[in-house]
Amino acid sequence: MKSIKYLILSNMIFLNMFFLTGCWNYREVEKLAVVAGVAIDKGKNNQFIVTTEVIQISGGRESKTTSTYITMEGKSIFDAVRNQISFAGKKLYWSHTKVVIVSKEIARHNMLSVIDWYNRDSETRSDVNLLVSREKTAKKVLEQRALLEDINSFELADTLKNQISLSKAPIKELWGFINDLEAQGIVNIVPAVHLKKNKNMYSPQIMGAAVFDNAKLIGFLNSEETQEVLFVKDEVKGGLLIDRDKTNGLKAPISMEIFKNKTKIEPVVSRNNEIKFNIKVDTRVDIDEIVGNVKYANEKVLKKLSNNEAKNLKNRIEHCIKKVQSEYGVDIFGFGAKLREDNPKVWKKVASSWNDRFKNVSVNVSTKVNIKGSGLFSEPIKMGD
Amino acid sequence: MIRKKNLLDHDQSLEQENSSLVKSLEANIEFFQKIFHDNETLIARKFQNKYLPEAKCCVLYFDGMVDTQKLNEKVIQPILNTNLNEGLSIQHLLEELEFKVIVSDKIKASNDLNEMMSSIMTGDTILLLQGFDKCLLISSKGGPTRAIVEPDSARVIRGPKEGFTESIITNLTLIRRKINNQNLKFKFRELGEITHTKICICYIEGLALEEIMAELEKRLDAIKIDAILDSGYIQELIRDAPFSPYETVGYSERPDAIAAKLLEGRIAIVVDGSPFVLTVPYVLAEAFQASEDYYNNFIFASFNRLLRSVGIFIATGLPAIYLAIVTYHQEMLPTPLLLSITSSRQGVPFPTALSLFLMLLVFDVIREAATRMPTPIGQAVNIVGTLVLGQAIVEAKIVSAPVIIITAFSGIMKLLSPTTLGSVIVLRLFFLIMASLMGIYGYIFGMIMATIHLMNVRSFGVPYMLGLTSFKNHNGQDIWIRAPWWSMTLRPKIIGVRNLVRQSTKIGKGSKMG
Repeated sequence: MKSIKYLILSNMIFLNMFFLTGCWNYREVEKLAVVAGVAIDKGKNNQFIVTTEVIQISGGRESKTTSTYITMEGKSIFDAVRNQISFAGKKLYWSHTKVVIVSKEIARHNMLSVIDWYNRDSETRSDVNLLVSREKTAKKVLEQRALLEDINSFELADTLKNQISLSKAPIKELWGFINDLEAQGIVNIVPAVHLKKNKNMYSPQIMGAAVFDNAKLIGFLNSEETQEVLFVKDEVKGGLLIDRDKTNGLKAPISMEIFKNKTKIEPVVSRNNEIKFNIKVDTRVDIDEIVGNVKYANEKVLKKLSNNEAKNLKNRIEHCIKKVQSEYGVDIFGFGAKLREDNPKVWKKVASSWNDRFKNVSVNVSTKVNIKGSGLFSEPIKMGD
Repeated sequence: MIRKKNLLDHDQSLEQENSSLVKSLEANIEFFQKIFHDNETLIARKFQNKYLPEAKCCVLYFDGMVDTQKLNEKVIQPILNTNLNEGLSIQHLLEELEFKVIVSDKIKASNDLNEMMSSIMTGDTILLLQGFDKCLLISSKGGPTRAIVEPDSARVIRGPKEGFTESIITNLTLIRRKINNQNLKFKFRELGEITHTKICICYIEGLALEEIMAELEKRLDAIKIDAILDSGYIQELIRDAPFSPYETVGYSERPDAIAAKLLEGRIAIVVDGSPFVLTVPYVLAEAFQASEDYYNNFIFASFNRLLRSVGIFIATGLPAIYLAIVTYHQEMLPTPLLLSITSSRQGVPFPTALSLFLMLLVFDVIREAATRMPTPIGQAVNIVGTLVLGQAIVEAKIVSAPVIIITAFSGIMKLLSPTTLGSVIVLRLFFLIMASLMGIYGYIFGMIMATIHLMNVRSFGVPYMLGLTSFKNHNGQDIWIRAPWWSMTLRPKIIGVRNLVRQSTKIGKGSKMG
């Protein structure tokens, strides 16, 4: 008798495992209002303005995908989102959202007010790309027509995806933002977006990064600086190195394509508790554009070119770190986090005063550029005249 | 109840009249004509010897059941023309005829009525002789039979092209020809209280498990049915798990397949009048084995077998998974796919679940119609089916295009292994209902239930999932793939346990080296 009771009980638990974890809401795909992207602005009286790009699909043999924009205000983000039902009819479907664009104003005030709902709600996904608008409003960025795609948000997402062969903006998904927000010894940089005129119309361009101090925006980095920061953070997977140095005797700059990069940050703690960081950058590049009569098939010449470029890169990185230290004073490179990993005892002592220490921490940058090839040609183009 | 009573009446009447042959020829003929009254296919041909007029004979047979040429030349003609006066004892004329006159491979003197009845009804001839209360039963089976042709149910490109026919003796011959061994045994019995259908249990002594044999005989003994018109009757009467959609008794129309199963230690049941020979025990893995697998290159054969087994998963699961993802878990779809499905669903009035149910039903309707139709009409059905399914229904926006694709895909996949057709259709519907109620969890739940069921089923004591649950030892050699012959040195476990070694020669190793 007792065993039967246990059998029934365990069966009920077993069955509930399936029934309770299952989704109960059957809904047809065409009833969904799929949100491709969302822009969040500040409105009057502390209200939020949420603009969503909703995909519109016309069926039939030649189906067409377009998008429309719905803007609504609310006391909170969720309030604004729900208010959209009052005139869009369908409930918004957030699982396929690709980008969240936050306006400068909100970012300056407090990012948390935006991302908390987005991260907490069960229908949204935390793997959306986060963007900070450099324009006046985020709405303006979202509402531009896309250049090549049908839907602006998807084009923004593609642009971010292809940043790996450009390395002029970081990639930050919402969960990563929250991770870094909660982590010690590192602060966030988020890709920045602005509008650029192209053939009589504006389209969004993702360049540079927004620097955060905890959840507050404190400034922007330009694209060059962003690349330098990415070098330090070991997030460079592609992109170009441009050697503008005129001492080579070249009339035009040399473009080198980055194929692989490895950066190591080593915290060094000296006896008198002075913290230093050794940064070793090791980059593999290929010459992709070179003008002039340089016989780069020669080993000596190659060595000279690579040494020159390494020096160049070192200067750039050092300059960048100095600038961040003096201008922003926040650890966007994650030096603190690295120290915490490698030397938790020391970190414990300095954790509370890390922001101040970071401003004066000394950094030793060493760079190495390996030129592995020169594209399809091994000789420069000769003019025959 | 009424049928049972009739049966009993019939038996009783036979008993009453038993052994009532008398010495008068006329009386005996009348006796048989009385038994077979209103049956005008009974032929009674009277004749007498040229030299001995007292030797009056009569052959009794059923028209169409006998080989008349053989009867004329080997029975009637010798009796007519032989000089029975010379050197033959008149008192023992019947025996003399049996031993010296009639040319027949199988002949027997009898006065047992039951024996006479079953002989004449299966196409033998009864020879009655004036003055004897016994008769001669002369083998003369003949009449129309179907030629040995390639079976439609299992065609091959490579391999033997003969198939079983409706004649039990032909079928046994086909098996015998494959296995030239004195240990191949044939045990006859009769089933069906009206039809008296011959069935034959066929096995290889020393390979077939005695326990399974005993169990099979026990189950056959328990059958009390009026008629056996096809082996399908027996299949359902002796099977395990009677309510399961899965087959627990195997069948094949191919002698080579049956021979192979006998050689693995299985037992075959040949039923007169059915070209389908049953085999027990039967495990799930056999559904994915085709005889051609064993004749083709093993890599190609393994590929085909993987297709078949994966095909079953797709055939049963695809509609359910599609339904679950499209109606419950849209976040699992890649965005472009979501958009294209959405665009195809624009303006479609029915929910996805309903349209899937409908289309699967339509597919099976067309399949069933095309199976029963004569070939020319079947083609017409196909054309209508393709047009209605493929184009019109999508253009009219009754269902969306992806649903058609899913239905067609699932429909084609399920035809990859025809023996599992029934269970696939049932299971697919079950999964679909589960998925429409609970999304992907429903499908998973359904799968778990199906697996639990399959793990419970046994066929004659052998686990139904034999070989599917582990890859240990030689279990996996002939399940998902077909291992090369030189590596399959052992027979399958449990079934072939009495003599596990299939090949002990090291030919494979040697030829591999060379």
